[in-house]
Amino acid sequence: MIGYVESVINGILMGSIYGLTAVGLTLIFGVMKVINFAHGSILMVGMFAAYWFVTLTGVNPYLALFVVVPFLYFFGFYLQKFVIKPIFEAEKDIREPITVIIVTTGIWYVLDNLALLLFGAEFRVAKTVVSGQMLEIFDMYFLWSKIIGAGVTLLLGIYLYWFLRHSRMGKAVRATSLDREAATLMGIKQTRIYNIVFGLGCACCGVAACVLVPFYYVYPTVGVPFDIKAFVIVVLGGLGSVPGAILGGIIIGLIETVGAQFMAATWTEMLIYVFFLFVLFVKPSGLFGLKQDY
Amino acid sequence: MKFLLNQKPSNIGIAIGIIALLFAVPMFVSSPSVMQILILIIFYAYLTSCWNFVGGFAGVLPLGHSAFVGIGAYTSTTLYLTYGLSPWIGMFAGGIVAALMGILIGLPTLKLRGAYFALATIAFGEGLRVFVENVEKIGPLEIRGPKGLLINLTESSFAHFQFMSKVPYYYIILVMLLLVLLLTYIMMNSKIGYYLAAGGEEKDAAEALGIKVSRYKLIAMIISCFLTALGGTFYAQLMLYFYPKSVLGLELSYEIAFIALIGGRGTILGPVLGALLLRPVNELTRIYLSDSLPGLHLIIFGLVLIIVMRYQPRGLVEPVSRWIGMLKDRFSSKPAVKSGEAVTD
Repeated sequence: MIGYVESVINGILMGSIYGLTAVGLTLIFGVMKVINFAHGSILMVGMFAAYWFVTLTGVNPYLALFVVVPFLYFFGFYLQKFVIKPIFEAEKDIREPITVIIVTTGIWYVLDNLALLLFGAEFRVAKTVVSGQMLEIFDMYFLWSKIIGAGVTLLLGIYLYWFLRHSRMGKAVRATSLDREAATLMGIKQTRIYNIVFGLGCACCGVAACVLVPFYYVYPTVGVPFDIKAFVIVVLGGLGSVPGAILGGIIIGLIETVGAQFMAATWTEMLIYVFFLFVLFVKPSGLFGLKQDY
Repeated sequence: MKFLLNQKPSNIGIAIGIIALLFAVPMFVSSPSVMQILILIIFYAYLTSCWNFVGGFAGVLPLGHSAFVGIGAYTSTTLYLTYGLSPWIGMFAGGIVAALMGILIGLPTLKLRGAYFALATIAFGEGLRVFVENVEKIGPLEIRGPKGLLINLTESSFAHFQFMSKVPYYYIILVMLLLVLLLTYIMMNSKIGYYLAAGGEEKDAAEALGIKVSRYKLIAMIISCFLTALGGTFYAQLMLYFYPKSVLGLELSYEIAFIALIGGRGTILGPVLGALLLRPVNELTRIYLSDSLPGLHLIIFGLVLIIVMRYQPRGLVEPVSRWIGMLKDRFSSKPAVKSGEAVTD
């Protein structure tokens, strides 16, 4: 019994970190209607940045947030400005930009293999003060780093929710997402909003990267499993919905850990896909999505 | 079918000339490794042409087509290994299984918008890969999980779809490609083709005119899945060994989509052009660079994609056909110059 409770809680903890990566994806999709296939690779870039920062300076891994998050924000900002925007412009009148999706896949190939070229294929572990530290409650053990990760997710989720609802910039972002033309007529610079949103989406990956580094391996293709989970989560929660992404993440985390209690871990991966297809067939708009979006 | 006969004689002549040239290639190439690369170029052109039915004409982005390559490879090979059934028959069994899967996956997803369809096909492809990697046996059929399937080489035999020489494989895949291209051509000029084009451009408007867009998309999906699975059987018999990642991997699905987009999706010759450009680059950079600089060949691959999409978002078939048109004008205008004057442009 204790085992199940432990796995449920662990599922929630890990799932909220999946949610963290999915938040960035859902933000970008919600505004630009583009699935960023390079999202996992950007997470990987963040993880390498955090890894090197922690390894070289030896400071607390959570201090890396102050370096990695701004770095990834500008990384995403300029990636959108110089690489994605020109292609996006060419097909901005089309409701579903397909070329842009494929171009983000190209960025994924370039980033992952650049990391392979620079750092090699080996798995790296960052040695930090929190690594391996456990919290014990009623014979159940939880990694502190996962608990902190879940806490950071919650804070970021609340902040983003507030940002989109109440800040001036957040309102501009939502306006652009609702109606590009009308927002432009109201004096909102659409391309600038896109740059900022892409930067913010990548910054979310930066947060996830710093939270992951104390307990997760870093290697060039680390983004791929997160990438595919993030796609699943985002559709599950409803494309464009921040609370949906976090809740979707927790559901996926639960399926993964609770499923692993009953079957081989490799099967849980399949369970996620089956569940995803099921949701897509039954309720394609997801938990919090709008009907018009699918 | 009248439109096939309504071509200009010069165009038909050029087409017959190119096809004759392609059939003559094995007479000039003796190296098996060069032959293998040529076969793979045609194979990828074939797969991408199959993808084109959905990805090109139906206006959606399928990113899980390796699933159907895998279904083709696994169906024919397990039937061959268990019951000794000739891969030629197994090929069509695989095609039918893939077509049924195509209906199953297409029926609910083809109604969805592009991004959702792309994600659903990824989930289907990846889910199938994980399934195959975890299963040793389905009933009496050996799958052997991640270890993959090995076909024992018996002898050169047409019935067993096994040849010592590469040449028969070359001819088989060439004929398969030509048939698919012909089918693409017929489809483009048929009612279904026009309906699909209308549905891809303006789904709501087409539906308002009474076109059941989803139904025609489904037809395209069935054709595409069936033909892709035939390609899977060919691959299995060519390599005689395959494993889940090689025929069901995400990489294969992406490469097919890449080739189509670089060549020009929704055109007849785009997939051929894309395969002709990308495959050699991929093979050569992999052979010469992957030992010393791992990953560089994929960086080049990604950069080529980004640059082509930046400057030729409709693919390279557009500028290339323009150049060919210019070349043709040059040739045809030459006899017109009768006096000894210099040709001035």
